[in-house]
Amino acid sequence: MKHIVVVADMKVGQKGDMIVTYALGSCLGLMVYDPIAQVGGMLHAMLPLSKINPQKAEANPFMFVDTGVPALFKKIYSMGGQKARLIVKAAGCGQPLGKNEMFKIGDRNYTILKKLLWKNGILLAANAIGGMIGRTVYFDISTGRTIISSKGLESEL
Amino acid sequence: MKQTKLLNILTKVKSFPSMPGAAEKLLKMLDNPDMTAAQIEQILRYDPGLTANLLKLTNSAYFGLPCKVGSVGQAVVLLGWKRLIQLVMASCVNAIMGKPVPGYDLPAGELWRHSIAVSVAAEDLAKELKISAPENIFTAALLHDVGKLVLGSFVKEDLEEIEIEASRGISFELAEHMVLGTNHAEIGAQILKSWSFPPALVNAVRWHHDPDSAGKTDTLVDIVHVANILCLMIGIGVGREGLCYKPSPLATKRLGLKTNDLEMVASRTLQYVDDLCDVFETS
Repeated sequence: MKHIVVVADMKVGQKGDMIVTYALGSCLGLMVYDPIAQVGGMLHAMLPLSKINPQKAEANPFMFVDTGVPALFKKIYSMGGQKARLIVKAAGCGQPLGKNEMFKIGDRNYTILKKLLWKNGILLAANAIGGMIGRTVYFDISTGRTIISSKGLESEL
Repeated sequence: MKQTKLLNILTKVKSFPSMPGAAEKLLKMLDNPDMTAAQIEQILRYDPGLTANLLKLTNSAYFGLPCKVGSVGQAVVLLGWKRLIQLVMASCVNAIMGKPVPGYDLPAGELWRHSIAVSVAAEDLAKELKISAPENIFTAALLHDVGKLVLGSFVKEDLEEIEIEASRGISFELAEHMVLGTNHAEIGAQILKSWSFPPALVNAVRWHHDPDSAGKTDTLVDIVHVANILCLMIGIGVGREGLCYKPSPLATKRLGLKTNDLEMVASRTLQYVDDLCDVFETS
């Protein structure tokens, strides 16, 4: 089955499922996969920290990296995923042109992700981060294969 | 060669659909302070499709009206006629903005979603910054990318060349200009001019990527500029050219914008977009 992850959203799947997210700009796309349990999930988080709007975070934790990432891992554990086996990949976190710090939401998203992973002793297996491009991610839960598509070109992450 | 391209583009602008008669009449009335609900109803009476769409928008969760609105007259009372005219514009452009846009690789419906997103983000930015919202902000934001509808097929034709220019670290609309002799903001302004839109709106569309060149400082231009980039960043209407646009540090300074304001508006925009876009998607 195909699941589409919209902005500020998370979807999980098992063998036979394909999870897709379109148009990652400065948002973070996080893919977590357990190859033995054959379960996986994808998060599409928009902003780094939930303290900017706690009300929204309570209604939808997937809007923020600091609340969305733990929620994704918890869901994967509840489906039989085990921490030691997880393969974690990140995509997105782009920036517009120029050096305007205010618009570096993508950078801030990635920084918060790295802090969370480091605190929990989890390493990123691969990433496709930054730049001015938009990215679409196809995540095949049968194989864990992750394909990034941008400007009509596809590459495996 | 570039000259011929430009001429072809301008010919396409001339054959671009005109605004429906009802919208044009209402727009002309914008400056008339004595406008009455009865006059608006009179104009809309002959366009039931437009009226139906207008009422759908009025009843969307975005406006949070306490009761369901069933007539134009009631809508005028509850929203005010200026807001109502903005919604007439939105209803009118829904059909043309809903099409897929080549060149920028926007699938069907995405330019419409982006346009609505920039409209609500622009209004919300003004609110967050406690700037009294310029009157035309919703409509200016709604129409800022209308030029892409004409330029898209020309961008597609010369995409390789435009992308080579953009890869040298310049923004996409500059790359468009280098290859085609114009860009989507300029073409959008031309379209609005041909629709006899007020100069403030034409100006906001013309300079939405380059607010520092707008001549005089204009809050309307600055807000649409920031709202547009923010919506692209959160993935609404981000096309093949990605985030290859440059936020103006001067515009953010003029607005007194802070990181928190930007992120706060982003956190609210999605809900507003869903509230307004759902009315057409479910119909």
